[in-house]
This record gives sequence, structure tokens and C-alpha cells, in this order.
Amino acid sequence: MKKTIHMIGNAHLDPIWLWRWQEGCNEVLQTFRSAVDRLKEYKDLIFTCSSSSSYAWVEEIDPALFAEIQEMVKKERWIIVNGWNVQPDCNIPSGESFARQSLYSQLYYYKKFGRICKTGYNVDSFGHCGNLPQLLNLGGMRSYVMMRPGPHENADVPQDLFWWEGPDGSRVLTFHIHDTYCRCGTEDIDRGIDIANRRIAERNHDSMVFFGVGNHGGGPTKGDINYLKELAASNPENDIVFSSPDDFFKVVCNSPLDIPVWKDDLQHHASGCYSATSLVKQLNRRAENALIRSEKWDTVASLLTNAPASTEKYAKAWDDVCFNQFHDILCGCSIMEAYEDVKNSMGEAMIIADRAENNALLRILSNINTWKDGIDDAATLVRHHFHKDNFPRPVIVFNPHSYEITVPVQTYHPSSAVCDSEGKAVAFQNVRSSRSNDSHLDTLFMATVPAFGYETYWLSWIDGHIDYNEILKVKADSDFGTDIKADSLTVENEFLKVSFDKYTGEISSLVSKEDGFDYAENGGIAKLTVIDDHDTDTWAHNHFKFHNIKGSMTLESIKLAEYGPARSVVRVKHRFNDSHITQDFILSSGQKTIEVRCKAIWQEPFTMLKTAFPMSGTDAVNTYEIPSAFIKRPNNGEEEPGQNWADITLTCNDGVRRGLSVITDSKYSYDCPDNTLRATLLRNVIFADHYSDRPEAEFNFTDEGLQRFSYGIYVHTGEAEKSDVVREAAVFNCAPVAVPAGYRKGTEPQRKSFISVSKENIIVSAFKFCEDGSGDVIIRAYETSGKNTPNVCFICDLIDAGFRADFRKNEIKTFRVDKNGYVAETNFLEGIVSTCEE
Amino acid sequence: MKNNVPYKLIPVPTRSCKICKSGDPVIPKELYEVKNEKPELCGFPLPLPSKKSDYTCCLKTGNVIWMGASTGLTRYDPDAENDAFSIMFFSADRDLPDNRVKALMADGDGIWALTETGASYIEMPLISPEEKAAILLEESKKYVDRRGMYSQKRLGRAGDFSSVFSYGHSDNDGCFTAGFAIGEMYHYAVLKREKGADHPDTIAARQTATRACEAVLLLMHIHGRGDGFVSRTYLCADEPVPDDGFFFRKTGGKAMLLETSASKERNIVGYTIDASAPIPERLARLYTDLGYTDDDIVYKADTSSDEITLHFLHLMTAHDILGPDDKELDNLIKMSVKGLMDHIIDHGYELWDFLNKPTTWAKWSAPYFETAFGYVDACLNAAEVLMYHKVTMHILGEEKKYLDSYNHLIEIGYADLTEKHYDRMLQSAIAMNLHPYEDIMYGDHMLAVSSFYGLCLLEKDPVLLEKYRNGFKSWRTSIAREYNPGYDIPFAIACPDEELDMDMLARWFYRFNLSRLAAGVSTTGRHDCAVLTHIAGYKEISAVLTPDETFISKYDRNPLQQKDVDSGGLFCIESCYVYTFAYWMGRYYGLFE
Repeated sequence: MKKTIHMIGNAHLDPIWLWRWQEGCNEVLQTFRSAVDRLKEYKDLIFTCSSSSSYAWVEEIDPALFAEIQEMVKKERWIIVNGWNVQPDCNIPSGESFARQSLYSQLYYYKKFGRICKTGYNVDSFGHCGNLPQLLNLGGMRSYVMMRPGPHENADVPQDLFWWEGPDGSRVLTFHIHDTYCRCGTEDIDRGIDIANRRIAERNHDSMVFFGVGNHGGGPTKGDINYLKELAASNPENDIVFSSPDDFFKVVCNSPLDIPVWKDDLQHHASGCYSATSLVKQLNRRAENALIRSEKWDTVASLLTNAPASTEKYAKAWDDVCFNQFHDILCGCSIMEAYEDVKNSMGEAMIIADRAENNALLRILSNINTWKDGIDDAATLVRHHFHKDNFPRPVIVFNPHSYEITVPVQTYHPSSAVCDSEGKAVAFQNVRSSRSNDSHLDTLFMATVPAFGYETYWLSWIDGHIDYNEILKVKADSDFGTDIKADSLTVENEFLKVSFDKYTGEISSLVSKEDGFDYAENGGIAKLTVIDDHDTDTWAHNHFKFHNIKGSMTLESIKLAEYGPARSVVRVKHRFNDSHITQDFILSSGQKTIEVRCKAIWQEPFTMLKTAFPMSGTDAVNTYEIPSAFIKRPNNGEEEPGQNWADITLTCNDGVRRGLSVITDSKYSYDCPDNTLRATLLRNVIFADHYSDRPEAEFNFTDEGLQRFSYGIYVHTGEAEKSDVVREAAVFNCAPVAVPAGYRKGTEPQRKSFISVSKENIIVSAFKFCEDGSGDVIIRAYETSGKNTPNVCFICDLIDAGFRADFRKNEIKTFRVDKNGYVAETNFLEGIVSTCEE
Repeated sequence: MKNNVPYKLIPVPTRSCKICKSGDPVIPKELYEVKNEKPELCGFPLPLPSKKSDYTCCLKTGNVIWMGASTGLTRYDPDAENDAFSIMFFSADRDLPDNRVKALMADGDGIWALTETGASYIEMPLISPEEKAAILLEESKKYVDRRGMYSQKRLGRAGDFSSVFSYGHSDNDGCFTAGFAIGEMYHYAVLKREKGADHPDTIAARQTATRACEAVLLLMHIHGRGDGFVSRTYLCADEPVPDDGFFFRKTGGKAMLLETSASKERNIVGYTIDASAPIPERLARLYTDLGYTDDDIVYKADTSSDEITLHFLHLMTAHDILGPDDKELDNLIKMSVKGLMDHIIDHGYELWDFLNKPTTWAKWSAPYFETAFGYVDACLNAAEVLMYHKVTMHILGEEKKYLDSYNHLIEIGYADLTEKHYDRMLQSAIAMNLHPYEDIMYGDHMLAVSSFYGLCLLEKDPVLLEKYRNGFKSWRTSIAREYNPGYDIPFAIACPDEELDMDMLARWFYRFNLSRLAAGVSTTGRHDCAVLTHIAGYKEISAVLTPDETFISKYDRNPLQQKDVDSGGLFCIESCYVYTFAYWMGRYYGLFE
């Protein structure tokens, strides 16, 4: 049976790359104008274009052109693809970000064009995480077009057409573009057709060739269209038609198919992109978490107090975040000036989140009963803590996670005692504040807060004058009656005992009290290693490993900086030439994760900074968090994208499987050469250095200057996904919020949970209102341990909801709860638009 | 097998409901006077089947709290160790006359629930899964058995055992009876192992299994064609012939096609074929003992692959379990398997019907796989016909004809095809713009389980075995979510690297109904069930409900489907085999004790 070559007219548009967004916006307008003109001139031409953010620009700036596009979409001459705001990087955004990409973008398409995108389309994105099949399906897309990695980067990835299966079993029918998504000129087009013909002969199904000037826009040219028409007419043996990806997938599904199944992620193209330009990565992580957390509380506050919800504001904020997830932005390979724009728009997103969250938390706490008998002037008492009546001050700690947590919480002003809502004393200590007026002290206490709820803590004022410097004096060997112990350069708590090497500043011993195993038995861990990164460009094209060690950082000082009932801190300072880094290793009461707060002044050009954790054993497995899931990758030393955490687990000499995870607050790149897990903390290369021969010039570098970030060290027995690492990392990245409260006569108790979930491996990732304004509530949750989990109970009295759901391994489920508490399971599109609607 | 420690099944509270209409004198008068308190549900720790505001009355019996609502009755046991018993929902029509519960009253070992139109007396006796198997078997023997065949029976009045018709065939009598027979064979094997061959229970189990086996074998000979064909079912003279497919009446060594819509449509009414082949006497006794003769027989043709697949699984199990103790039966098994396998091979891997053409659905040939229908069927059908070969060789030895045929099918890619089920199912669903769960024939699950279970048990070649295991796993996406022991136990035997959720399987046995009498339940409107509407409107519940809270079906429906009507309709009693097949197989393999 004769097979067809589908010629896909398209115009790849990078809204930011070697230009700022203003130029990208202008290029969109010109390209869309040109595409409409070509469609009018050539009645059989079809044009395909992605990215709802581009359409929104046109709608706002040139409504007449937008109307023409709407007409062309209606006639199926203009095909919308990829129901996301942009063609994002497909490794760094969180699972919830992908949900929002689909939600806002597909709803936009539905509203403006009466249809949603059926095909995912990320032709230029540098890599594709393993959970994308599920994320695409839940966004209404069952087929996918991608190009990278090419055969020279990963020869194992099937070429042409294949089933791509995610860890939950979801699949998308995927077309792997060969070579380029923007063929132009007769020679290039001939080559594309030649490749397509060869593929048809080998595989016996239709194929696609993508043509049209791209990257900086353009689209199909008259010359190329005319050439293709001539080619079709003069070569009847070649069935060449103008077509779209939607039509291509429709045709191939109606014929016998014998294609491979790929059950892995699609990597690597640009291994340096997951660490380049720390700024944008940090902004992304912070904005994602700020928005998710804020919207949860905004929803609670609205339900609790009938205050208006901020749903539309969040849509605007997510629009900023989703736009900045465009692959050339988030991968850190755009020009330096572009990141000024990124800072501004991410700032807009985060301030929306912060304002709404603050409003919400204050609304909630205004209902909490914090009244104390004997108070006659609540406002004055709060402001003037040296009041003679000396009432303890209430602080409400809000936990946004769907499981109970115990974490250190820091609030302003020192205290003499801290109690929970039942009057039970909790571990606390006064610590140095970031300010240098009044006491110089803050209170740090260990808060235990119920799942997605709050707990009230009562902090007693320090009565009379005290010697603040005396409080801060570190006295090793003290016994505070808690699990925190410290002796010189050894700190310990209930779970861990950690010792530092006074000559290197590395951790020389990390003993788990669970089984007495020393995770640093092979020498120092948390070893700061500087990598020579001179030979690569910003993307690190054709480089998959970063093993060329330039040197180790040298220790400048190390000391026990804090020791109290709630935590101990060892402060370590290192330098490398003119670069410096200070690391505070913090071990808090009852915590399984060692927090490492870092402040670096980085000056070293063409370098990477890694922190290394050598392990010893056999059958090592590396596990990385990917969007709403995890993946096992070969232990081969290649640089790998990962999200909140990466892990090495191996069989130790005693036959027990043990693992060490590195948790990060803003990093996305890791490797593991020779059983040494390393997190890439900094990558300092030239901005947008694209296969360049680097002329003599004083370039700006991606990570130069001040850098603040944190990482955590977590150890466990058994495999990573069965441990607590997902939840530990989530708390590490999204801390509870402590709000000083006044004295109020409220109706709500001092401790409350708004959602409970019956299984530990099911995490709630979103709690929001439905976008259709119905007042229905959306709850999204996902399975974290790779295990089919039936009969999960969700209880949320706030919306009179209590329901059960079965989860497949790694499955994401979205529930829509109506005002009577009845629940529909839906997808990212919240039941507003059916995925079958045209 | 990863689940290598037997899971201990214990006696559990099991619902037993007696429904009375309003005015029935057995309803205590005091029930009408009872004033129950409204339950306090603020902060209730578990999902509730009714909306909290729908609850109107509650009653405490010991630590158990019964809560009546305008939408059903909820039993809450805060001390239940097993999550399966924390919350139980009772609804119309299976448990209550209607869902509007007005009052609750303790009485004896149970409680009365007064509703708008009557009352229900509910007891929760402690019953073990084994006792349940016995109760269900007795019910099926009493009401479902039709000359050894077990599928279902029609009723004259809904919910009334006494109105059961003596006749009533099923299109899949062979398939369902084979399932029943296999369960009883495992039952016999377990008792023989545990109690000894001479124990009265063992003897009784053997008799039940043997009779069912004979009934299945009879379908392979009843038509008198003598060519290995298999009938779907058969009727005797006093049973009405339904207008449903092709029925032949046997007379004087001939069989004539009766008038039905199907035969009229093809203009072949009266078509006559040879029916002179003798029926083995032992099998014929199933009807001759009742006074019928060969000339009283009406059999049904156009047999499907469903029937054939379960026949082969049945032949394998019967040969292994009953054969060693009953050589006569084993010879009948050998004769039957040879006849059927020869027919399939000799007819180009098709089952040929009376017009010398394949039946509608019993096609396993490569040309069929090239057709549009066959393209999607191919992966299952390839596994089926390969399993038929392995079973035949298992019973008869590796005769050249069968080995050559098997190797030929492997050569032309049948084993590879078995792995592609999910690929093609998904492709088909996408092409039709459906979700795969909307596109599945749920009856295919049992066919896949039977085929791959048989293949994985019998295939010794590691390369082929791996392919068959992969093939079995390609069905798990849709099967695993049912948590159905009838599927999961064979899977665990076939794929020992896979682990089962034994708590969920135990929950299924614990919460299986004590009766297979149709009545219907209320799942629509449950407050604790998230409902998922697929692309074309097909509705599923997001968490599979326990069998006692969902509709009754055989191994041919999707238990996640939101459906209040039992699959056989209101006027039906179903066979117990869904339970007994799974339970005794699990016991046989030591998964449970």
C-alpha cells in the first residue's frame, strides 16, 4: 500500500534566546502574518504552530490578524499543537508546572479556537523526562513530536515512530524528527524527503518532514511551497501532501503498525543546561513552590471565610512561570540581558503568590481562637512584648504538605519557652538573627504540624534583661535534655551522628543510628570539587560527562557555630583561588536530613562546582526525581537532570541495601562517577555560547558573583523510592510558614488539619478552585513510591468531601469536588473541556 | 512466586440481609416507634458512602455503629483491624427495600433497618471464605445446575428463588461451566491433599468436579458431527428454543437448522447436516438418565473462541487432576482434545461450522489477523491457539503433527504477536478516539488469563516463556486494577517475579456476596466514590468497590464500571464459579490457608 510523506509547514519561534522577548514578540507577529498570507495564497497548504503565549501576544497586539487565524483554525488550515504555553524544557519544570502548562494553555485554545491541542510538540526541547507520556495524556494529548536527542547523542532512542511509555504505563504515540524541524531550500527539503522515503521503505508507514524557516520565526516560504507542489506533481510515485501532525497520527493509527516501545526518558542533548545559570533555576523552583503553597492556603481561606479566591491572579502568575520555562530560558542558554526580564516576570509571579498567601493566612488565623483570659488590649500586648502581664505570644505554623511534619521554625525575637497548643513544651533555642538591632536574636523551635493544617505555638517573652552574647556562646558537651548533642566537630541527634574532618572540612563520619552504619566509611563526603569546564559551550553540546577535576577547594576555617536544644551548626569555609564558599551544616532535633546552607562568592571562569558523596558497594542504582515521579538511570557517570533529589543506592559489604540522597533547593543537575554521587552546585560559563569560537572579549559568566542555595543530605536503607526522600525533599523545598498572631476570640481550634490522606506514598500537589468559576475544588495527588496503591482515603471536611481512589504506580490523579462534596475524577483540564472535543 | 507465605484467611462478619415489604408481619412493631439519634459526623475519619447531611439515624451495637441515611445504610466498625471492614454500605435492592432509612433497632444477633417501603433484617455472621465457597456451591447446585452445566438461570420473579426456571441456556455454557469445573477440580485436589482421597468431603468434591467435567466434554460431542466441532450449548426437547443464533435439532442421525432470525436472515432455515457420530455413553448419561434421547437434543452452533479457550484450559486441568484417578474419563479427555485440535489445524486454524466456513469468532489464522477485526484480535488469538497446542501436547504427548504445527506458528510470528496486545489495543482506541478502558471487551480478560496461564505453565523454552510472560504482562494495565483473584492468582503462578497485593485479594474473598441472586445495588450517587467519565461517556469509579457493594457479574465485566444493575438483569441467579474458581485455585497453589 502506498505510503504518504506528510509535509508539515511550521515556524519554530524562540520567544527568547539570542534576543529578548520584545524581539521575539515582534517576530511572532511577522511570522503569523506571513503564515496567514501563505495560507491564503496556497489553498492546500497547512500551517502548524505551537505555544499559546505566542497566540496571546497576537490577540493583544493585532486583533485583526488574530481573527484571521481563528478563521484558519476553524477551517483546519492552521493547526494548533502542544497545549502548553511554550515549548518548555521538559526536565526542569515540576509535575505541577506541566499540569498548569496544560490547564491554562488548553483552556485558552478552547476559549479562543473552540478546540484543544491533540498533539504534544516540543521539537527543540533538549530532553524529555520519563513521565511526559502521563503528563501529556492528562493534558489531553495522546501523540507527541520531538527531535532531541539525535542519533549521534543517543542511538538507542527509536527513530521515526514509536510508543513512548511512562512509569505509570501511560503511552503517547511519538514521532522522532530526524535532523531538523525547519527544513528550507530545495536541497534541504530533498534531503528530508529522501530520509522520509527511506524510513517508509524500512518501516512501512507514513512519515513526516517539517519545513519552514525557524528559530527566529519565518515559516514556509513561497519558494519552498512552490517547490513542494512541483515535486508532488512531477513525482507521482511519491505521495507528498501538505499535512499536520494531527492528520499524520490519525492516518498511522488506522493502518497496521509494528513499532517499538520505549520505556525510558529521552536524553541527552545539552547536558550542561541543567546547571547553567543558577539564577533562573532558583527562580523557577521558588516560584513553583510559592504558587503551589499560596494557592492551597488561598483556597482554604476562601472556603473558610467566604473571601474571594485569587484564581485569576494565580493564572496570571503561572503564565509568567510557564513562559519562563521555555527551553532556552530555563536551560540558562539565553543572552544575559534576557535574564533581567526573567527576574522581573518571576518577581511578578512570586509577589502575586506572596500577597495572596499572606492575605489567606491572615484570614485563616483571624478565625483561630488564641484568646487568653485577662487580656484587655490585644493589639498593645502583641506589639509590646515587655508588657507587665507577660502573656506568651501566639505563632501559627501552617503546613502546606499533605502529611504531618516536624521541622525547625524560626521567628523574630528571642523567647524563654515555647509550648504547643496543648501546653506541651517543645525544643527551642535562641539563634542569631539577620538583623543587628535590639536583641540580635530570633527564636528557633521544633514545630509539629498536622497534614495540610496548622498548629499554634506559644512563645514566652524573655522577662527582664539578659546577656544575649552569653546565650549564643557555644558550649560543647552541654546536655540540653533533647536529642541534640555536640562535641567539638561532632554533632548528633536522634537519627544521625556526624563528624567533620578538621583538615578538609568534609564530613568524615556519618553514622545512622538505625543500624550503626557509617555512610562516610570511604572517606570524606560533601567534598567540594571544582571541575574544569573550559571545553564546552553553554549547552555542553556533545559533552555528556564533566569529570575533568581542576582541584578541590581548600579549607579556610571550621567551627561549631551553634549548639542548643533544637539544633547544632558546624560552619565550614572553603576557597579556590578568588572564590569562596561558606557552608553551614545544620542538624536539627528529630530531623533525618542534614541541611547545608551555602553562600558562595564565585569568580572562577569555565568551572563547575560539585559536592561529592563517594559510596562503596555493589549493584549501585541511581535514582532521580523527575516531574511527579522518579527514574532509575545507569550508574555511568553521565551528567543527569534531576529535580529535588538524586540518590545512589547500593549493596554494602554487609549485604544490606543502603542509599544516600542529595536534596537541593534550586539545583537540577547531578552525576555519579564511580559510585560517587555529585550534585552540581554552580556552572560558570559564558552566556549563550553556542558552538562558539569565543573571540577575545571580557565575557559575562552565568554563575559569577554571590550565590545562595541549600542542599540536604539524607541516608536510608532500602531503595530510594521506598524511603522518605520524596517527602523530606518536598519539605526542604517548601517550608511551612510561621505567622505571628494576635489574641483573638475565634471559632477555629488551635490545631487543625484540612486534608488527610491515608497512604504515605500519596502526596497532594494542588488544592485549588476550578478555573470555570463554579466554586468546585480541585485536588491533585500522585503516587511516589512506584507501587500500585489501592483504596486511598481522602478526607477534607472543609468541602464535605471524603472519598477513595486507587492509584497505579506513579499515577497522578486530579479530583474535582462539587459544592455538595461529590467527586469526579478528571485530568489537568478539570473537566471544563473534554479531551474528545474538537 | 514472590508471595510464598500462605495468607491466612479467617472467618469475618459477612452480610446476610432479609428484606421484608411494608406490612410484613415479621417486622417488629417496635421498629415503627423507634426514635434514633442523628449521628455526629464532624471530623469522621473515613469516607462515608452517604453525604453527611443525609444521615438521619444511628444505632450502636457493641462498638459497631449503624448509620441510616436517606441514601442507604452504613456500618462503621472503629475497631476493625482490616480496612475492608471499617465501613460497609448497604443499599437497595440487594440489602434494603429502598435507600430511605427511617429507623434502626437491634434485635437478636442482628438489626432491623426500617425504610420507606419496608424493612431489612441484617445479620453479620462470622463466615470463613471456605464456608462461603460451600454456601455458594450449594446454591448453584440447587438453582443453577442444568444437566451439569453451570452458567446462570432465569427467574420468573426478581429475587425469588422459588420462581427459578428449570431451563435456560447461556451462549457461553461451555465457557462458564469449564470455569466452574476447573474450580471444583482444584477443590477436589485440595481436599484430597488435606483430608485424603477417601474423606466424604473429598469424594463429594470429586463427584461435583467429575459431573461438571462430563458436562463440558459432552458439548464437544453432543452435535454428532464427529469432526471435533464444539457446541456452544444444548437444549432438551422440553426447553424452548430462543431466537438467538443457530440451533440444530437432531433427528435420526441428522441435524436440521431451526428457524431463528439469524437463520432466516441467511436464508438457510432447514439446512441439514450429518449428526450420526456416536456420543460417548458416559457423557450421554447426563441427559439419558433424565429420560431424553439423542433425538431430543437441540444444540447451538457458531461457537466462539471464548468457548474453545476455556475448553482447552478445562481439558488440561481435568487431565492433570481427575485423569490419574479416572482412566475412562482421561481417555475421553484425550479423544476430545485430539478431535478439537485436529479440527483446528486441519481447517487452517479456524473452527468450521455447518456451511464449511469458520464460525464468526473462532478464527486464529494468519489471514484473519490481516483483517481489520483480526488485527486487534490477533495478539489474544495467537496466544489462544498456541495454548491449545501446548495443552494438546501435554495431554497426548509431543506428536509430530502438533509439534510441527506449533513450530510453524512460532515461525510465522505468533509468539511475538502475543506481546503486542497493549500496542494494538491502544492504537485501536486512539483511532476511534476512545480511552482504552472504553474499548476493551472485558470478557477477553479471562481468555487472556486462561491462554497465558496455560502457556506459561507448559512452555519450557526460556525464550518463548519470556515472550508469553511479556504477553501476559501486556494485559496487566487493564486487569491489575480489578484486584480480582481469578485473574491475579493465575498471573502470579505464570509470572513468579510479580508480587500480588494479598490484602486486596483477601478483601475480595471476604466481601464476596453469600448469594449470586440478582438484585442490584446503589453505586450511583455514592458520596465516597470519585467517578471518572471517559472520552465517550463511559463512567468508572476511581476505586474498585468490594463485590458485595457492586453489581454481580461473571468474569466478563468491568467491576470499576459505575453500574447499579447486575449484569444478568434482575431476573437471574448466577453461578458460583467466579468465587469458587479463584478460591480453590488460590488454595491449590498455597497462596491462602
